[in-house]
Amino acid sequence: MTIDSIRQAIGSIFRAMEAHHQELNELDGKLGDGDLGVTLLKAFTELERLKGGLPEDLGQALMQCASAVTKVSSSSFGTLLATGLITSAKSLRGITAAEWDKTAGILESVVPALLARGKSSLGDKTVVDALAAISKDIAGQSDPEKIAQGAAAAVERTLNEFREKPAKVGRARIFGERTIGMDDPGMVALQVMVNALT
Amino acid sequence: MKKILNDPSTYAEETIDGLCRAYPQYYKRVGLERVIARPDAPRKGKVGIVSGGGSGHLPIFTGYVGPGFLDAVAIGDVFASPSADEMATAMRAADGGAGVLRLYGNYGGDVMNFDLAGDLAEADGISSTTVLLADDVASARLAEREKRRGVAGMVFAFKIAGAAAENMLDLQEVTRVAQKAADGCRTMGVALSPCTVPQVGKPTFQLSEDEMEIGMGIHGEPGVKRGPLQTADRIADAMIDPLLADLSLPRGEQVAILVNSLGATPTEELFILYNRFHARLTDAGLAAGFTLVGRYATSMEMSGASITLLPLDAELSKYLRAPAECGFWKV
Repeated sequence: MTIDSIRQAIGSIFRAMEAHHQELNELDGKLGDGDLGVTLLKAFTELERLKGGLPEDLGQALMQCASAVTKVSSSSFGTLLATGLITSAKSLRGITAAEWDKTAGILESVVPALLARGKSSLGDKTVVDALAAISKDIAGQSDPEKIAQGAAAAVERTLNEFREKPAKVGRARIFGERTIGMDDPGMVALQVMVNALT
Repeated sequence: MKKILNDPSTYAEETIDGLCRAYPQYYKRVGLERVIARPDAPRKGKVGIVSGGGSGHLPIFTGYVGPGFLDAVAIGDVFASPSADEMATAMRAADGGAGVLRLYGNYGGDVMNFDLAGDLAEADGISSTTVLLADDVASARLAEREKRRGVAGMVFAFKIAGAAAENMLDLQEVTRVAQKAADGCRTMGVALSPCTVPQVGKPTFQLSEDEMEIGMGIHGEPGVKRGPLQTADRIADAMIDPLLADLSLPRGEQVAILVNSLGATPTEELFILYNRFHARLTDAGLAAGFTLVGRYATSMEMSGASITLLPLDAELSKYLRAPAECGFWKV
């Protein structure tokens, strides 16, 4: 994994967000303020703009990405994205080429950071449940293509697993039982991102 | 919507521009972001105090930047959190090398962004602490205090923490004093009519002509009881009863009291309420050791009022009375 892998990933997710941001807004609008898609589109438009100038040091690069995300978004998903990037940056400081099999461990470190920031727990039906599933499923994998496929399968499985459960945290919690049968918008956003990488 | 404005999308921006032009002795813009700092910030060796939150609550938040109050503030659109980036900019503007206290109200979006701002500032070598105001007794039971929202209690906390920092206490001590003030504050509000967020254009809630809602939040969050409009004395009782029950203070104690207009309610009506508050405190054997009556924490043009009580000890009393000034009031 080098800075080029990160640039490539940003480009793929940016294009996926251009295509899917409306769907995410509509899904989010059923439970929240309906700005999830636009939040992510703004974040990845900014990352796409600055990706050429990112430094080779992966830690520094992700820190710059986090800072850029905070500039364009103050909504909760943007804040979680930035938190995930900062946490990942800590494991990659001073490294210009990382082994792909480190990915699972990095995601594993992101999970508790996001839970702490969002004051939530695993099982609350949030994006973190899907991230935790990814980190478990891709452990030991060193092929980027297999990692992306494993991640996509893990998100799909988590969506299925939680569809019939109520949301327990955030604004969706207020809707309680009404969230049964609905996909969590944050998990769907992660699905859009992960699918873009397969 | 009937408002004095040029463009709803630049409402927050134009407000802070005007504020800085009107009172340049207290407020300066930091860069191009919606961040305001004292003109002399950062003061070397002094703990910096930073707050932030949505626009629409003046004098909260930006109004309280000034000597003896806050050093810098990040401000969002009306009722919306500023970004973590703006909060980190405010922290950098406030840091004189002695660290920064983040002192603000307990709202999910603000907390997430201020925590993230702490990560960003930490990467620049700035150490910081957090004290949250959770003074709105209507928003959760005493057993779940950490879930309560922060409202007008911020006024006392800003004043007290600001004085502690001005006295050159270190970060740990300023944080302790601020936490004591935040822990002591209890607030209860009543709403008589809603306000309209400029970018939304519609009132935040509906209340009919003869209705009021006890305990409604400053963004129109549901309160504890909606019912017919009562006389001032009965409204005052409904506001102060839960505070006295929550605090259960022994007789002979002193309290600071803030009777606050949510925006549209005239100061006259605050004084009508004050008569009853005064009588109830006297009945409970409590003395008002520090009193504020007026517009200190508002919710645009919402009509209604809030009362905040803070039990005082010698330390809190000293810092409340210490000199301080901002564009809206001074001690």
